[in-house]
Amino acid sequence: MLDVHALVKTVAGGRRVLDGVTFSVKPGEFIGILGSSGAGKSLTLRAITGLTEIDSGEVRFTGADQSICRVAHAKGAELRAARRQIGVIFQGLHLVKRLSVLENVMIGRLGYISPLRSWLYGFTDAEARAAVGALEQVELASFADRLTATLSGGEMQRVAIARAIFQQPRLYLADEPIASLDPRNAEGILKLLQPLAKDTPVIGTFHQPDFTRRFCTRVIGIRAGRVVYDGSPQLSHHDLNEIYGIREVQTA
Amino acid sequence: MTAYSASRRLLRRAAIGAIVVTLFLAAALRCDVRPEIFRQGLGQGPNFIASFFPPLWSAAGEMVTPVLITIVLATSATLLGLFLSFPVGLAAASNVAPAWLRQPVRVLLGVERAVPETILLLFFVVAFGLGPLAGVFSLALGSIGMLGKLLGDAMEEVDPAVVDSVRAAGATFWQTIRYGLLPQVLPALAAHTLFRFDVNVRNSVVLGAIGAGGIGEEIAHSMGMIQYERATIAVLGSLLVIYTAEAVSGRLRRRLLGAEA
Repeated sequence: MLDVHALVKTVAGGRRVLDGVTFSVKPGEFIGILGSSGAGKSLTLRAITGLTEIDSGEVRFTGADQSICRVAHAKGAELRAARRQIGVIFQGLHLVKRLSVLENVMIGRLGYISPLRSWLYGFTDAEARAAVGALEQVELASFADRLTATLSGGEMQRVAIARAIFQQPRLYLADEPIASLDPRNAEGILKLLQPLAKDTPVIGTFHQPDFTRRFCTRVIGIRAGRVVYDGSPQLSHHDLNEIYGIREVQTA
Repeated sequence: MTAYSASRRLLRRAAIGAIVVTLFLAAALRCDVRPEIFRQGLGQGPNFIASFFPPLWSAAGEMVTPVLITIVLATSATLLGLFLSFPVGLAAASNVAPAWLRQPVRVLLGVERAVPETILLLFFVVAFGLGPLAGVFSLALGSIGMLGKLLGDAMEEVDPAVVDSVRAAGATFWQTIRYGLLPQVLPALAAHTLFRFDVNVRNSVVLGAIGAGGIGEEIAHSMGMIQYERATIAVLGSLLVIYTAEAVSGRLRRRLLGAEA
């Protein structure tokens, strides 16, 4: 349903930040991407949504109508059609703070309404009720009318998930969804993502192998723009050293 | 040995002082400023000031319409300027507009700000004739020069990740502007617009005196007709308008910025 093939991206100075990233996603998977900061985890997710242009490689996304969109090369309406079906869960900090919680959730379906309507009156009452339904799934329905800026970090992250749920995508991408959260909030977020993955695959980037071991069905390790591990979330000590580039210390 | 030297600083300040005094004297000589002119002027001063009193209170009723014209002039100029400066601001923001559009727009805004509204009025009077309409266009154009630049700057400072998160949902360009960018610049937009309203009220009095109508025209007219007691009432009317505008816009702005914290 998603094929990522040989992504390459070079930045100024000639360094390859993506150097042949390749993997496929099947239904029912909850994939955790591990890797050091700057290894290329977030960039891979941005390439999948076409927010970052790549030098070469291919992203094939199979839409609801079984048509295949080559996201990395798509533009305009075709790219927006693919984006509508990919629910990106950004870090909660990237919500629009000056809008209400409900408006932030409704942004998830912005791709389905006409630009003129979004300037005239925005969303209909029926859409607003559906958005409250998405907030119920993350147990924040009572927050609908609050100004987003007044929420805590954990609450914002839940709103970001509600936005993606409301979008009714065919694939979820979560960019460090638990990065700035305490362990209890982080666990709450993963318990929300895990059941979503049963129907719609989830790809998330993480820094905590303990959490990916407990919740993910598969782990992809990225180091210096390359996939160095792809398999079971039960990583060995050796696998972790490989992903994070730590030289193994020989103990006597 | 350090560069910090008391004698050197003293010398430098004395040199700067000498240059300033020389420039002042040169300018005064060039403009034919002579002490006896001051002496004559000051002698007539008390008489001149006295001729403004007592104010012609009976003329107060005649000032109501000009005061309203001035307020309407400043308000419509601010609103027109605001609507036009939003797209101009977009075109001036580096994270929205491509360089081939942004750079000429920024240059034009700079040129526009360099031209005083009084000069703009001369052009618009030729086009629309004397009266408030020419004033509205002059002040609106002046507002675009300032608001367009400040809005462009505010747009450049928005959080790009927030904008990306809206784009990632499949939003079009204008939807991204509406939901990702506009909410982030709204406080700056409101504060700058209120400030500009305050400036426009003052300027509309000045422009009134040179042909845009309103209370400024009453001041100029009364002075021209040597009806100084009537001019006093007109000046009081303009002070009332300017003070009220400043108080209202200042209060709203503080409330807006207070909500930020």
